[in-house]
Amino acid sequence: MKIPRLLQAILVLAGVYFGFIVVFDVILDAVIPSSLLAMYMFFTTAGVFMVFTYDEEQTQELVAPIKSLVEDPTKRAWRNIVFVVVPLAAGGGTYWQMQPSFEAPLELRTIHPAPPSTAKIYGKRVNLLKLENPFREVEKKDPEKFRELVNGGAAIYIQNCQYCHGDKLDGNGPYAAGLNPTPLNFQDVGTIAQLQESYLYWRIATGGPGLPKEAAPWISSMPVWQNFLKEDEIWKVILFLYDYTGHRPRSWEHE
Amino acid sequence: MMGGGLIRTVLLPAIAAGFLLLSPGLIAAKDGDGEKGETVYIKRCLQCHGDEGDGLGPAADRLNPPPRDFTLGLYKIKSSAFDADLVNDDDLFRMVRDGMPGTAMPGWGDMLSEQDMWDVITYIKSFAELEGTPEGQVDYGKQIESSPESIAAGKKYFLADDRCSECHGVEGRGDAIKKLKNDNGERTWPRNLTKPWTFRASNDPKDVFTRITVGIPTTQMPSFADPKSKKKLSIEERWHIANYVVSLAKTKKVVRPENTVIKAVRVEGDLPTSPDDPVWEGASPTTFFMVPQIVGKERFFKAANDTISVRAFYNSDKIGLLLEWDDRTKSIPGDAKAKSIAEGELTEDAIAVQFPVKIPTGMEKPYFLMGDTAKPVTLWRWSSGTTETAESAAIVDAQGFENLITRDTATDLTATGSYKAGTWRAVMTRSLRTDETDKDLQFEEGRFVPVAFFAWDGSNGEVDTRLAMTTWYWLLLTPSSGAKPLIFAIAVALLMGGVLVWWGRGAALRRKNAIS
Ligand code: HEC
Ligand code: HEC
Ligand code: HEC
Repeated sequence: MKIPRLLQAILVLAGVYFGFIVVFDVILDAVIPSSLLAMYMFFTTAGVFMVFTYDEEQTQELVAPIKSLVEDPTKRAWRNIVFVVVPLAAGGGTYWQMQPSFEAPLELRTIHPAPPSTAKIYGKRVNLLKLENPFREVEKKDPEKFRELVNGGAAIYIQNCQYCHGDKLDGNGPYAAGLNPTPLNFQDVGTIAQLQESYLYWRIATGGPGLPKEAAPWISSMPVWQNFLKEDEIWKVILFLYDYTGHRPRSWEHE
Repeated sequence: MMGGGLIRTVLLPAIAAGFLLLSPGLIAAKDGDGEKGETVYIKRCLQCHGDEGDGLGPAADRLNPPPRDFTLGLYKIKSSAFDADLVNDDDLFRMVRDGMPGTAMPGWGDMLSEQDMWDVITYIKSFAELEGTPEGQVDYGKQIESSPESIAAGKKYFLADDRCSECHGVEGRGDAIKKLKNDNGERTWPRNLTKPWTFRASNDPKDVFTRITVGIPTTQMPSFADPKSKKKLSIEERWHIANYVVSLAKTKKVVRPENTVIKAVRVEGDLPTSPDDPVWEGASPTTFFMVPQIVGKERFFKAANDTISVRAFYNSDKIGLLLEWDDRTKSIPGDAKAKSIAEGELTEDAIAVQFPVKIPTGMEKPYFLMGDTAKPVTLWRWSSGTTETAESAAIVDAQGFENLITRDTATDLTATGSYKAGTWRAVMTRSLRTDETDKDLQFEEGRFVPVAFFAWDGSNGEVDTRLAMTTWYWLLLTPSSGAKPLIFAIAVALLMGGVLVWWGRGAALRRKNAIS
């Protein structure tokens, strides 16, 4: 049986719509702005229309069912129904479209802002460009001592950080669901794997309030750890973050 | 997104739930290798459960509940008979794979392979040197499906002889009138049965049945299959109670992460001033998680409150908020009963709503934790009162924790609270506009106002920075959309109808002409 051209066109459009939803919303779990979806649907509708009205004959075939509905005297009952339902649906649609949606304002913040070249940490001005983890060299020189340092970092992490960043370092600690923005996931390749240890030191020591404006310091619940931890404790916890996740810090030599 | 949202909110959880239901049965106990398990343990578990498996990792005193002590071989989640010494390996596997919600114990299923998990289980069992299989299993009889009759019967057994209500309260919110301790002498709280996401296992009826049958070892949650118990229940009765417990979770006050806006509804005339006024039902609640305050000094890791629900109304000159939060204890200093169940010094329960001083024009807001010197905030604070003094409302100007000034002049903030069956409900009302425009936010219809909340449970040693908090959310005085949408809708419908009729008419005319 041949599917009428009009139905074909409608099915193609529906397929395009649900395909989009399935890919972006369900599979990728991305937030799609409705304006983007509207634009996408506009262009695909135009495209489908062009394909389906490629030549005169096809155009005729496409609009034939509509034409016959309006013009064929035997379809009178159907016509009356459509003539009532379509305007009502258009009116209803307009009504819903015009109801204000009250969606919360979008807040776009930079997750990894450029660090300052110097920062005041523990009352001293430190040059972040030159700063290195004093314990990193122990890794090769004395692996046993290094293990101890990492274990020290682990204890600090469990006592202080896991509530938010999670015991698995996946950003999913017991408090995470109550925090907005959510704590970062260190297992993800997009966080500490991309960063230098000096960047982490700056972020950990100065916390949310230490961020520049584009990163919205006022909403970050990341504590200011120089108020709670000692300098060497921060360096140790950084060793632990890399050791547990298996990531390597970025360093100047590799660039 | 409509379609996807539907798929995600309805379909996927349904599939996931189906998977969870099926999966406990799918666990096939495997022999683990204790030596390999030790390696996994050292890397993943030792930090909490300790070198010796005694639960004394470095964070033990900051975790509530503390990590399990494996040397005793006692586990909370058990599906072997109540009097069996051992638990099933499947029980352990499930807790290790899925974790224990409401605690720091995460699920390891996404990080460890199945074999790793069996290995580490073999290793942790070796701490207690218990070997073998449990002597008996839970008898499930025939499961009774949930129905209004079954739920009603369950409610009856729940309340009869104060069987469950003794600890869990008459509405299941865990508002115990007793001070409960676990086997280690640590304070524990009966579960709030309306919050299934805090259940160590789950609130699937079969899980609840198992807990009622076996109890929760190491805690005071008893077995109701024990023939020695005066409150023993038959299998059938336990299924009814399980169905009742599951039904308690069906409330409108659940956290929906995408819902970040409290929508204040416009009303004509007076706002309801009593928290128990049924008019509040006309505004739908928005619920947020609260977390212990561990950002500013002094940190506090064991806050008792974990959610807050908010509804709001406004009229031409006032705004009214109804705040509802489950609190197991009504903390009234001076009251002997309140004192007997309090942990540490008894102080008033309190709640505060935080607003910026000005509606932000750009993205920039005050620091979420009580503002800072550059951008102050205002707190509307209600305290529950003592046996001597009445409840009170106060406005606090804040520029950070260290910088709180309570206004001593009388303000136009009014607040009243009422406590019932484990829930506080407090109404706060204030003018939309005040004279002190430099200190007070001036509300405007249709503008998004940042809002945050703080709660103190006075029976849990919560004062000052020892509190439960939220981060910033939004409050919106939703303007009524007026007649505009209706006028446009009618215009569009008429236009469309007109075009169609014109087309149909034209066609009919052409036909007539063709015929004649
Ligand atoms: C109260 C919750 C909380 C605690 C506790 C916490 N953090 Fe954070 N952390 C956050 C949040 C939220 C973010 C994301 C926002 C931001 O970038 O400030 C974050 C971001 C970070 C970042 C930035 C990562 C990146 O990719 O830029 C690092 C590093 C970090 N935290 C380390 C730590 C360490 C180490 C500790 C413990 C000493 C800790 N955090 C404790 C909430 C927390
Ligand atoms: C961040 C801390 C933390 C880490 C890491 C952790 N646990 Fe736990 N675990 C807990 C806490 C807290 C409890 C107790 C929960 C309770 O009593 O309700 C617990 C309980 C348990 C229980 C008892 C289950 C029961 O039914 O009573 C087992 C088994 C367990 N953990 C195994 C593990 C294993 C295996 C690992 C490593 C793969 C691990 N835990 C890592 C915190 C942790
Ligand atoms: C003597 C006090 C007491 C009584 C009586 C009691 N419970 Fe409990 N119940 C508790 C405590 C305490 C806990 C929390 C244990 C913990 O800390 O994990 C609990 C936890 C629970 C849980 C949570 C299970 C989970 O997976 O987390 C359920 C469900 C429950 N009880 C149901 C009941 C029912 C139904 C009854 C009556 C048949 C009952 N309880 C009677 C004290 C009690």
